[in-house]
Amino acid sequence: MRSVDSDLGFEEHLDALYRSALRLTRKPEDAEDLVQETYVRAYRYRHRFQPGTNAKAWLFTIMANAFRNRARLHRGVEEPIDEPGTDFYIYEQLRREGTPLHLMSPEELVVDRGFGDEVKRALEELPLPMRMVVLLVDVEDFSYKEAAGILSIKIGTVMSRLHRGRRALQKRLWDYSGRPKSASIAVGAG
Amino acid sequence: MHQLDCDETAERLNLYLDRELSDADVVQVREHLSECPPCERIFDFQAEVKRLVRKECCSDDAPARLREWVRNLSAKDPQPPA
Repeated sequence: MRSVDSDLGFEEHLDALYRSALRLTRKPEDAEDLVQETYVRAYRYRHRFQPGTNAKAWLFTIMANAFRNRARLHRGVEEPIDEPGTDFYIYEQLRREGTPLHLMSPEELVVDRGFGDEVKRALEELPLPMRMVVLLVDVEDFSYKEAAGILSIKIGTVMSRLHRGRRALQKRLWDYSGRPKSASIAVGAG
Repeated sequence: MHQLDCDETAERLNLYLDRELSDADVVQVREHLSECPPCERIFDFQAEVKRLVRKECCSDDAPARLREWVRNLSAKDPQPPA
């Protein structure tokens, strides 16, 4: 039996909403709570949703607003970060390290170097505005235009946050993977 | 048609990766990548990082309890406020 909402298509986005909520709140119980609030609102205002339009974007808009309201209640000061340097941070570091990049597939480079396990942590440490944009574009595959609509910001703002977010993410991944930074110099004991 | 150099290609690489370039720009970037192995390697690497972020973050599914809750909510078919 199909549930009542199958025509609206809300339920099929549950996993996407939950995993994003988890990255935003960082806690499973808070993520569940946020997702519940999102669905309660979605059904309460379902008359505003046009069946056949993008249900996923609509649900993410509701969740982004609900999350923003929560974050406002107990806001900590978010450090703005703007890492200097290149867009291709990890690549450049590997190159400086002397890794034979032309001999390895990109997959070998990222997986063998242990960048996999730390992705969630690196993402969760990004300041919220950047984290939201990276989540929407890189994880949930929304277009810049859709992400702008969901967050009520301009496309140019999406792009600059994405840009800074990815740069910071790559830098964190690199740092967590325990590799020396190119600037660091090996120092003897003592 | 204008041929992109490496810097111009680097500037467009993320947009290309996100499928946000116009068709004409896509053709230009593709042309440069096909002729420039170093740029192509950077592109492949960036694409791999993006794929990795997605894969790692898609591993958490909603708990069964929450799924059940959503099903119950949708079954109740709440009416819009009067």
